[in-house]
Amino acid sequence: MALKSIIHEIKGVGDNVDGKSKKQAEKKCVLSRGRSYVALERLTSSPCIVVQESLWASLPHELLLDIIQRIEASEITWPARRDVVTCASVCRSWREITKEVVRTPEQCGLLTFPASLKQPGARDCPIQSTSTFQLYLGLSPALLGDASKLLLTAKKVRRATCTDFLISMSKDDFSRASDCYVGKLRSNFLGTKFVIYDAQPPCNLLIQSSGMLYKKFPSKRVEPKQLYGNHNVGTVPYEVNVLRTRGPRRMRCTMHAIPFTAIQEGGSAPTPATFGEHAHCNSSLVSAVLNREIEDSICSCFDEPVKTIKKHADPLILRNKAPRWHEQLQCGCLNFKGRVTVASVKKFQLVASSGTSQGVPITEQEKVILQFGKIGKDIFTMDYHYPLSAFQAFAVCLSSFDTKPACE
Amino acid sequence: MAEAASSTIEKNNLTLKSSYGDEFVLEESIAIQSVTIKNMVEDGCSSSVIPLSKVDTGTLIKVIEYMKMHSSTSSNEEEIQNFDKEFVRISIKTILNILEAANFLDIRSLLDLCAEAVANRIKNKTPEVVRKIFNITSDFTPEEEAEIRNETPWAFEGDLDHSLD
Repeated sequence: MALKSIIHEIKGVGDNVDGKSKKQAEKKCVLSRGRSYVALERLTSSPCIVVQESLWASLPHELLLDIIQRIEASEITWPARRDVVTCASVCRSWREITKEVVRTPEQCGLLTFPASLKQPGARDCPIQSTSTFQLYLGLSPALLGDASKLLLTAKKVRRATCTDFLISMSKDDFSRASDCYVGKLRSNFLGTKFVIYDAQPPCNLLIQSSGMLYKKFPSKRVEPKQLYGNHNVGTVPYEVNVLRTRGPRRMRCTMHAIPFTAIQEGGSAPTPATFGEHAHCNSSLVSAVLNREIEDSICSCFDEPVKTIKKHADPLILRNKAPRWHEQLQCGCLNFKGRVTVASVKKFQLVASSGTSQGVPITEQEKVILQFGKIGKDIFTMDYHYPLSAFQAFAVCLSSFDTKPACE
Repeated sequence: MAEAASSTIEKNNLTLKSSYGDEFVLEESIAIQSVTIKNMVEDGCSSSVIPLSKVDTGTLIKVIEYMKMHSSTSSNEEEIQNFDKEFVRISIKTILNILEAANFLDIRSLLDLCAEAVANRIKNKTPEVVRKIFNITSDFTPEEEAEIRNETPWAFEGDLDHSLD
C-alpha cells in the first residue's frame, strides 16, 4: 500500500462524515479481507470516509496542487494568467495553493499578481511591454484589441515647481488613499532630475525564520499611522547638455532600493511578497544608501520629506549603454533587437554602471537591464530585466517623457 | 459467490469490488497498472476479492475500461491517443471521480490525463463557476472578495465561459 494513499485516506477523515457514509463504511470494513488493506480500513474506520458525491469540497491537496500547476504552466502567454488568478479567487485554500505554485517574475518571467509589479524582473529573458502612459503587457490594445493586460497607468500632474507622474494600477484612480496607488515620479523644475517614490517602503520582505520583525526606518521620520508614504527608491538625473549637440540623452539612475550586489553572482534583489503590505523589514537586509550629495540636492529640490535609509550597501547604478560605432553609417548605434522602429530622442538602453568601487562582471556590463524605445505615435516599448521591477522600470521610462530643454 | 468464483477462475485473475459491492473480474496483468493493486498482489492479498471502498461502480467501470485499453497489445499509439481524448469527454464531476480513483489506485498516466482534463475545463471560467463545479463555498469575507476583484479587475472581465461543464 502506497504511503501516499494512506496519508490521503487519513487526511480525508472527518471531512465528510454523515450517518450514511459511516454505515457504509462499517459494512465495508467487514467485507474487506486483503491483509494490508484491512489494517488500513481499521485505521480509518470510525469515522470513515467513503467517496461520494460530496467529496469535491475536499479534493486532496496534492490533486488540487497538480491541477493548479497544470493551469499555471499552460498560461505562459498574455493576456493571460487569468485562470491562475481565477484559481486564486475561489477560496482560501485554493488561494494558498495558487500562491505556492506561482513563482516570482525573477524566476519565471511572468507577471501574475500585483506584487509581481514590484518584484524584480526575469534574470534571463526580458519582460516585454508597451507603454503610452499606460503600461501594457504584450501589445497595447490600440494594436491588438483588448487582448493585453493593463499593468500600470501614469498621470502627469504639473505643479508650481515640479512635475509629478502619479503611478497607479487603475486606469482612472490616482488617489493616494486608493489601493491602486503604486508610487510616483517627481521631476525638478528643469526636468533634469527625477526621483522615484514608492508608496511602500522599499523592501517589505518578511523573513519569518529570524523571528524578529521590526521597522527599520528611523521612527522620527515615519508617522506610524500614515498608510502611504513616499519612499525614495531611485534617482534619475539627466546629464545637462551644455553644448546643445544633437544626440541621445544621458542619464545615470541610482536605484536606492536595489543593492549593487543584486547583479553580482548569487545576489538577489528585494522581492516584496505581497502588494500593499507594510513596513516589516529585517535588519539584515541590505537595502540602499543615499549618497550625501544626492540627498542634499533632493532636499533642496523637493519640499516633501524624503525618507531615506542609511545602510551599508552601495545602490545599483544604471547608465546609458555606450553606442557601438557603425562603420558604414558613420554613427554610433545601439542594437534594440527589433523592439524599436521609430527614431526618438526618448529611447535609451541602460546597463549596470561600473562607476563604483566594486567591479561589474563583464557580462553584466553588456546586459541591457532596461530598454525603452518608440514603435509608433505615442506607442513605446519597454523591456526590463532582473533586478528592476515593472514599477521601477516604468518610472524610469516616464522620466523620458518630461520635456527637458536643458538636455536636448 | 466470491469464494466459488475465486476457486474456478485462473490464478492470474483478480476480482475488484466497488463501493456499491459490485464485483469485476480482471486479468492480473491489466490490474497491476495500478501500483496500489500491484503492491497488494505482491503482498499476497490478491487471493480474495480486492475491495475498493473509495471507488464507486460507475467510476470503476471507467477505470477498468482505461486499464484494458492501455494494456492492450493490439492497439497502436494513435488509437490510444484517440481513446484518451474521448475518455475525458464526460462531465467534469465524473472526471474528478476518476481522478480521485486514479490517485487512490496510483495509476500515474490516468491521473495525468484526468488532472490535465480538469485543468483544461477550469480555463476561462469565473471563480463563481469554479466554486459551483467543485462545490466550494467561498470563505472570503465580502471585503476580501472586493479587494481581490479590485486587485486584478482584468481577470474578471471579458468573454468568460459561464457553463458548468
